[in-house]
Amino acid sequence: MTDWILFIPELYTLAAGGVFFFFCLGRGRPGRDYAAAMMLSAAGLVLTVCTAGFEGLVFEGVYQVDLYSQVFKALIYSGFFLTVCLCADLSGVDKARHSEFYLLLCLSTLAMMLLASSVHLLTIYISLEISSYSLYVLVYFRRGYPKGAAPAFQYFVFGAASSAVMLFGFALVYGAFGTAHMAELMGQVPARINEPVVFTGFVLSLSGFFFKLAVFPFHLWAPDAYEAAPHQVSAYIATASKVAAIAILVRMIALTGGQSDRVAWVLIFVSVASMTAGNLAAMAQKDIKRLLAFSSVAHAGYVMIGILSANAMGYTGAIFYGLSLMVMKFTCFMVVVKAADGGRNIKTDALAGLHQRAPVLALALLLALFGLAGIPPTIGFTAKLLVFKAAMEQGLLWLVIIAMLNVVISLYYYLGVLKAAYFTAPASQPRAIAVSLPFRLLALAMIVFMVAGGLYPRYMTALAGAMTAGLLP
Amino acid sequence: MTVYAVFFYIIAALIIASAGLAITRKHMVHAVLYLVVSFIATALLFYLLGAPLVGIFQVILYAGAIMVLFLFIVMMIRMAPGADRPFPAGHFIAAFGVCGVYIAAALVLAFFSGPEAGRPMAAAAASPAAFGFYLFDQHWLAVEMISILLLVALIGALHLGRAGRRKQSGNKEP
Repeated sequence: MTDWILFIPELYTLAAGGVFFFFCLGRGRPGRDYAAAMMLSAAGLVLTVCTAGFEGLVFEGVYQVDLYSQVFKALIYSGFFLTVCLCADLSGVDKARHSEFYLLLCLSTLAMMLLASSVHLLTIYISLEISSYSLYVLVYFRRGYPKGAAPAFQYFVFGAASSAVMLFGFALVYGAFGTAHMAELMGQVPARINEPVVFTGFVLSLSGFFFKLAVFPFHLWAPDAYEAAPHQVSAYIATASKVAAIAILVRMIALTGGQSDRVAWVLIFVSVASMTAGNLAAMAQKDIKRLLAFSSVAHAGYVMIGILSANAMGYTGAIFYGLSLMVMKFTCFMVVVKAADGGRNIKTDALAGLHQRAPVLALALLLALFGLAGIPPTIGFTAKLLVFKAAMEQGLLWLVIIAMLNVVISLYYYLGVLKAAYFTAPASQPRAIAVSLPFRLLALAMIVFMVAGGLYPRYMTALAGAMTAGLLP
Repeated sequence: MTVYAVFFYIIAALIIASAGLAITRKHMVHAVLYLVVSFIATALLFYLLGAPLVGIFQVILYAGAIMVLFLFIVMMIRMAPGADRPFPAGHFIAAFGVCGVYIAAALVLAFFSGPEAGRPMAAAAASPAAFGFYLFDQHWLAVEMISILLLVALIGALHLGRAGRRKQSGNKEP
């Protein structure tokens, strides 16, 4: 008998999707769609926070509701809610298509929630596919983009290829153990992880999650997709989608029990490669969204350091890093949406004189970029400190040194953006950016959160630590 | 090598060859027909592995229903053959090169690891009723999730189709 109460947040999200589905059938009314999206996503966020204490197994044991999954669901929902907050000016999307836009966003959120709770390889695969497919379509929602469907198609081809590889890996794992249930795998994998079939299957099955997180060999879609998508969709990919990828990656790596040096070496390789490739490529970017895409690739590398440490501190650090990435990346995209009128793409120098045009946004951008670069006292510094400490516990000092060098490289381009916002004089008379009161409050909330997370991370790290309790043997 | 292994390798080669032909043909009808061959070979593979039910599903659903639908659509809209590649060849090489190296490294490790790597699985032949009961009893969440996936794909297809049409009509009326 299924305990339906545990499944309430997902059912609610499905129902919210149903609302937008009915809106799709009629004539497009952007104002109504936006209001509905705001209310539904805010209520959903409250609901996921309220259900954070739920625990249990549903659907014949393939769906696990625990603190880990519920907190991640709340994080994913915050990503959804924040993305909808940016949709007041959805000029990058055709007016008649707004309800479809929200519907796909809603279904993608639902899929990511399912992903956070899935403990069966089959369910994991399908929920990953739903969330990816919604995003492929959402990337193509950009109105009048000169390159047309090419970036979305590229994203799709990459996604399809890596999910095929992942499915092959799942098949090998299933073949080796005769079960695809994580609870059963958990007891058997650590002892057999160095067997070639298990190892191969495991590493191949990680590829789908690497694709989602945009880790090095699977990151090539990121810059084009970020650039081509409507700003709100890029923000969603950079926030909610990354959090969901971290949730499932931590769960998968926890399966190995951190016992395998071979798996650790694979993860160290992808971590170093994505940090370096992401940071070096980001230095050459002029378009802000491309720059943020490459910075996402670099940050995926830092997150991997926490995950590959495979100890309590590492998982805690990875979860905290996911939270901090969401806040910082969202703040950057908030500024991009406001600074780019009419949903255009903007170059870094278009931010010139931002501190006069919109002081609140400039301050938020300053803190977000400091956080991304890991400068105290921001939340990004705490996150980096946690993952580096976890790596030190495992005796990976050299990896931390490589990461620190990468942080120094990243300072170059983050400070480049800041220089444009604060010190470059605009070419013409600066025009003030109209920032409405709710938006100003949102920016202030982000500022407070980024500083508070840097100064008093204790409660958040304690929560992240409690979440990892079920993952360690 | 047993006779089953010989059959397995023949069928596997057939699947790879026909799938490769399917994605390289410029003429859509040819591509679809090669895909049908690939699906039927996959069905044979399932049959060989002791899963006749899945094999029959493969023939009826994939090779039969879906591919016939594909053929109808291709013939109805008469797509012009020889459209350009959607993105430059360099991207293909980068993508498949990088992913290919990753996969090849893992596979080489699997193949060069000695006979203990192979682990025979017990063949499981289930009756259709038992299979259906298992699927809808143990994994009905997955079945329901697939329906959401299909909804998303449907919306995506609709959006792609409409966006293309709007662009065309926009070009005609300057």
